[in-house]
This record gives sequence, C-alpha cells and structure tokens, in this order.
Amino acid sequence: MLSKARFLGVFLLVVGLTALLVAPAAIGADDKPTFYWISHGSSGDPIWIFALRGAKQAAKDLNVNLKSSFHQNDISTHQEAFKSAIAAGADGIASSSPDQGVLQDEVAMAKERGIPVVFFNADDPTTGRDAYVGADNVEVGKSWANYLVNNDLVEEGDFVWMPVEVPGATYQREETRGISSVFDPLGIEYDVFDAKYDPVQSLQNMKNYLSSHKKKVDAIIGLGDMVMGNIKETFEAAGVEPGDIPVVGWGNSAETAKEVMDGYVQAATWQYPQSQGYMPIALLNMAHQGKPIGYDIVTVALYEKENAESYYELAQQ
Amino acid sequence: MKNKVIEKLAAHRELGPLLLLIILGLVFYSLSPAFLSVLNITNMIEFIPEIGIIALGMTLLLTGGEFDLSVGALFGFTPVLMFILKNEGFMGIEMAFFVVIAIAALIGFTNGILVTKIGISSFLVTIGMQLVVRGTGLYISEGFPQSSWQAKTPLKSALAYSIDFPGSYFKIIVSLFWFIGMAALAYYVLNKTRFGNWIKATGGNEKAARARGINTDSVKIILFMTTAVLAGFAGIIDAFRIGSAYPVSGTGYELEVIAMTVIGGTSLFGGRGTVIGTILGVLLLRTIRNGIVVVGVPGLAYNIFVGIAILSMMGVHAYLEKQSGGGS
Repeated sequence: MLSKARFLGVFLLVVGLTALLVAPAAIGADDKPTFYWISHGSSGDPIWIFALRGAKQAAKDLNVNLKSSFHQNDISTHQEAFKSAIAAGADGIASSSPDQGVLQDEVAMAKERGIPVVFFNADDPTTGRDAYVGADNVEVGKSWANYLVNNDLVEEGDFVWMPVEVPGATYQREETRGISSVFDPLGIEYDVFDAKYDPVQSLQNMKNYLSSHKKKVDAIIGLGDMVMGNIKETFEAAGVEPGDIPVVGWGNSAETAKEVMDGYVQAATWQYPQSQGYMPIALLNMAHQGKPIGYDIVTVALYEKENAESYYELAQQ
Repeated sequence: MKNKVIEKLAAHRELGPLLLLIILGLVFYSLSPAFLSVLNITNMIEFIPEIGIIALGMTLLLTGGEFDLSVGALFGFTPVLMFILKNEGFMGIEMAFFVVIAIAALIGFTNGILVTKIGISSFLVTIGMQLVVRGTGLYISEGFPQSSWQAKTPLKSALAYSIDFPGSYFKIIVSLFWFIGMAALAYYVLNKTRFGNWIKATGGNEKAARARGINTDSVKIILFMTTAVLAGFAGIIDAFRIGSAYPVSGTGYELEVIAMTVIGGTSLFGGRGTVIGTILGVLLLRTIRNGIVVVGVPGLAYNIFVGIAILSMMGVHAYLEKQSGGGS
C-alpha cells in the first residue's frame, strides 16, 4: 500500500516538473527586453516550426527574451494569450491574426500601454498594428489563379481542384477569396477539398480523390504546404504524368520545391517562413529602442522550374 | 490505520485539484507577479464560463456512464447556423437562437437514441456525430466565419454583455453569471434531486438501476440532450463575445472538457460526479493554459503541462481509490 509520503510526492513531482519547465523562462527574467510571439497556427505545422525557428534566431542574435505560444486556430485562447502578454508587461508583441477584427481590442489595449505590435503571416491592418511581416493571402490566391489563367492552363468551364489541410482556417478562406475574384468572372469552377491535417490521411484522401476524378480535374491549386507535398505521390497513384494536370500553390517545403524541379508542379509560392519569425522580433527590438517601424515587409516569391533549386536548398537548411 | 488527511481527501475528491490549483497558482505567481494582475485575472475569467458550461454537461453525462465527443463540433456549429439563419434573412436573431438550441437538443437526442436504443457505444456514436456536425458547419458556411453581428440586442446583452469598471482593466462578462447559475443548478440536480440519484445509479450500475425501476434509457437521452444544448449555448456565448462565429471553433474541446471533468474527480466510468470538482478542474486547466503563457514556457512545450496535470491527478485519484477500498 502506498504511503502518505508517496502521496505527497505526487504533488512534489508536479511542482518539480513545473519548476523544471518554467525555470528557463524564469531565469530569462532579466533586464533584457521580452517579446511575445503568438501564432494562431499549429505547433506541428512545418511552416510554423520554420517561423518559430526564425523568431528564436532573432532572439539569440539580438540578445532579447522570447516567449512563444501556438493556438491551433482557437481565437479565444489566442486573445487570452495576447492579453496575458500585455498583463505580463511585454516589451513588444508579435502576433499572427486569426481573423479580421478579432484582435481589435487587444491591439488597442497594447497600444494604450505603449507596447508595439507587429503582425506576421496573417494581417489585420484595421487593428492599427505597427507593422506586418508576411504575405497577403488574398493576393497570393489571386496570383495562383492568374498564373493558371495567364498561362492558358484553364479556361471557362474548367474545374480546379483545391485540396487543403484545414478547411475553414484563415489561410484557406483568404486564398479562396483571392482565387474566386479571378475565377468567378471567368466562369471557372473550383472546389475546396478537405484533405485532413494528418499527413497519412491527407495523402490517402488526395490519392482517392484524384484516382476517381482525374478526368474532371483541369488544374490543381494546393492551398497548403502539406497537400502540395503530396502531389507527386498522388499523381503516381492516380496514373497522372507530370504536367498533365497543371498545379500551383504553396511551396514552402523541400518536397514541393523538388516537385517543381521535376515538373509535377508548375509554380509554387515561397513565403520565407523563417523571416516571418525573425523580422517581427527585429522590428519589435527596433521599436523598443525608439526607432520607427511603421512599414510592412512582404515575404513572398513565386518560383518555377528554372529557379526552384535555390528554394529546394533553402528548404533543406 | 489510514491517515486522516488521506481519508479526508478520499471523501472530498475536490481537495486534490484544489491543492494542485493553489500550488500551481503560487508557482506561476512567484515566477511572474503579473499572473495575479487585474488584467490577467480578467483575461482568465472571460473564457472560463464558455468551456465551463460545456464541462458541466459533460460532468452529468459522465456520471451517467456515457460521454460525448461531439461537444466541440456543436460549440462551433450552433452559432454558425444561428448567424446564417439571421444573416440570410430567414428569421430574427432571437428566433434563430431558439431554433439552433432546439437543433442542438435534437442532435443530443439522436446521440441518446443511437446509444440506448440501437446499442452503439457512445464513443462511436458521438465521434460520428462530431464529423457530421463539423462537416455540416463547414459545408453550410463554405468554411467562412459568419460575419459578426455587432448590433446590440437583448440576446447579446443577456449572454455576453461586458460589465466594465471605469478606471480599471477589470471587467466581467455576464456569461460568468450564467456559468455560476448553471453550476448551482447542476449541483442541485446531481446532489439534491431524485433525478440526480437516477443519474448516479445509471452510471454506477445500470442493471441494478433498471431493476430498481429507473428508466435508464430516458436518463441517458436527457443527459445527451443537456450536454448538446449546453455545448451549443456555450458556443453562442463565445461567438457573441468574440464577435464572429467560426465553423472550426471548438476543435479539440471535447477532450479538454473531459480532462477537466475527470481531473475534478468525476469518474470516467460513471456513477460518481462532482460539480465542484469540475469547476476546479476547469480553473486548473485554464490556469495552466494561461500561466504558461504569462511565465513564458516555450510554445512547443505547451501540452506537456496539461499532460502532467492530468497524469498527476489521475495518479492521485487512483491512489485515493485504493485507500478508500473502492473500485474505479
């Protein structure tokens, strides 16, 4: 039978593990400025891992404290984290925008306290944030649709298949909004496909779909990085040759860059995720030093087969 | 001879999470005094009612021996449908509210029927329902959030009005009073009414409960309906508070709510439930979620804390179970 001492040990274990986990943060509580980096994305998503790596690198290079959190598209907890950062006396807050308008009060509260705010990855200029680093997802969506149209890869009556990992997520909605602004007037049909977030499931679902609908699909726009990384295997499973169905979409991974090099994907967008982590911290540090930061930094480039290799190397770093 | 402290803890399961809550609160406060600042406390109590209301329903359902994995999907779906009904001009917001609450009750009823009359496990039924509800929300909204409905209405004021205190960051959302009222009602039902006894009897030993003349199927169906309605209601409060309804809202809440409930002392296997424990479980997990942001635990270590809290409380409960000679 367990003893009282062992019972109390459970609590001591909790305290011990708590201390172990928070000790680095506590030790970091010095006179260096402390910046919060709050992402609405998933901690398992490669693009956010790249971005966090960039933020950490900035903290190291600039000798500042960094406190980060991920909120898996949950707006309530994102808002809570933002206000917690304010309550904790942050010297600056870098945040992505989970959606338009939802961080209005939080940004206003931060500004009232003199805390600079930089948005990254997903913007909401209506909040009055100081600066933005990243892509405009609506414009990115437009660029993909325009690429297909301008290169005569789709025309009126064609159908474009648009797989995505998380239907309903901010990036999907904004990209689709941009795509629809090009396709709708031209009578080009499109459909968002729920491929699922799990890598195995997403690949299997895409294989199943394309195998049974390849005659219907005239082009593909991959709305996320995971689905774009599945294109080669999906084509092979469905018996589609590279180039038979034109593909555009995100290209922030080595897999997609290789697919572009091998002709499976015609064009892909690189959004410099590490810069989306690094630059907001650099801007916040400048603001902390009293330097103005009222400008945005766009981190987007569309690449094709000719220049894909450099992105492939970048993605492997 | 058993130690008196252990006996007391075994008799009052809420003391375990309470003790853990106090310890963690002190740890967070010692590392960052901002943890107990007015702004941060206000921040924490904004979201607690919403997740807490779902947890109350789950407490009753778990006590009755079942659980519901569709609550997170209902949390997202109900307000989306309500705003669609309003924005597309089908009806006014108040009528839409009652319609979607009725639909949530119908979904709960369907869960209950499938579990009790068809005999499918609640795990399979509610995971299927989760996909149906989540998918329906995404389909009817095309994945887009329903535009915030900013006009002030009696309904919005009744559910999510913010009581501000001039000159201070402190504010209270009226949803806190809904949560307190519902918690009091759930406590009363579970501990002071015949129906509460039926719930515990149904969850503890269904055959014996039936033999005593309790209609266990009806009890479970009512509990499924209650849980679904509370999840939908909480989602509507959330949508009014943050200003928009998102079809993906509530993703993963089902497991978090079950964790809150079980940490509080409600048995995962039915027959024993504690509303006070659930409130403490809600406070505990929300404190952890908030505290690790304030203190600055690395984002990728976020879930480690939650896991530690769940495992440690499960260890404590299992230990107390052995000490008191009960089964799980």
